[in-house]
Amino acid sequence: MSVQIAPHVVLLEKFMHTVGLVEEGHILIPNHVLYTWLVMLILIALAWVATRNVTLVPKGVQNFWEIVIGGLEEFTVSTMGENGRTVFPLLMTLFIFILFANFIGLMPGGVAPTANLNTNAAMAIVVFIFYNLVGLKMHGAKYVKQFVGPVPWLAPLILPIEILSHLARPLSLTVRLFGNIFGEELVLILFFALLPVLATLPMYFLYSLVDTIQAFIFFMLSMIYLKLAFEEAH
Amino acid sequence: MKFFKGLDRGYLDNLLRASLIGAHLVASTFIGLTVGYFLDKWLQTGPWLTMIFLFFGIAGGFTNMFREVKRIERGEKESAENRKR
Repeated sequence: MSVQIAPHVVLLEKFMHTVGLVEEGHILIPNHVLYTWLVMLILIALAWVATRNVTLVPKGVQNFWEIVIGGLEEFTVSTMGENGRTVFPLLMTLFIFILFANFIGLMPGGVAPTANLNTNAAMAIVVFIFYNLVGLKMHGAKYVKQFVGPVPWLAPLILPIEILSHLARPLSLTVRLFGNIFGEELVLILFFALLPVLATLPMYFLYSLVDTIQAFIFFMLSMIYLKLAFEEAH
Repeated sequence: MKFFKGLDRGYLDNLLRASLIGAHLVASTFIGLTVGYFLDKWLQTGPWLTMIFLFFGIAGGFTNMFREVKRIERGEKESAENRKR
């Protein structure tokens, strides 16, 4: 019942129905993938508009990107050191993608791609593989030293503990983002069912804050993991 | 950007790491349980690997907690010394 009067009418799903990518009443491409594509389109369009004619004195969209990217790059480098500059593109991409994906969920009729475990798991696994590769590239075989701890005879005990602890990182990254955004969508649906438009309006202020913070947390945590991978074994 | 400059970096760093501890504690326990469970299923070794890996998972979460606390403590000492100067 509440699903029918919810604001999540899903605009893109309607579009898929008219295009005809439907089999037995179900759309062939899942919703979160559709909205991921929408976010990609928005970001590509914004990037294209910003770089179409780059001027020395930025204005408009170029100004926006320069403030965001410049500010965050400075922040990354001040936390991670000069190493940060090499991994910054991935971190920035994650931040901007998650930010826009979260805000798509606030749009009436939109579904946040990050309210689905698959999207988040994909990003978290990319971060996991990336920081391990970076650590291996930086330290070579010495990277294993980070896993065995300082005392040699304790190594057989520490090694499985460390490996499990590393495996827990992508899980906690995934579940935190999923829980926050999915809960947010659910609350919006319920409030809309209670009292359409008026009840959801104050929630929008709260959730625009939450969305930004969640994107920033994902960014910061990826940064911390990369920083730990860069560090020498202690 | 003014927003990021206004924030105290040490404070923000500590806040994030502290908020990570709880999630990490739960996540590593579950990862340990899952790994042990599937190893048991694969190797047909009864409940033993599940128990051992569950213990490893819990230990991993707590190790992480102690490490974070140590790090925060060290940061506090450093900032206290900076204040004296």
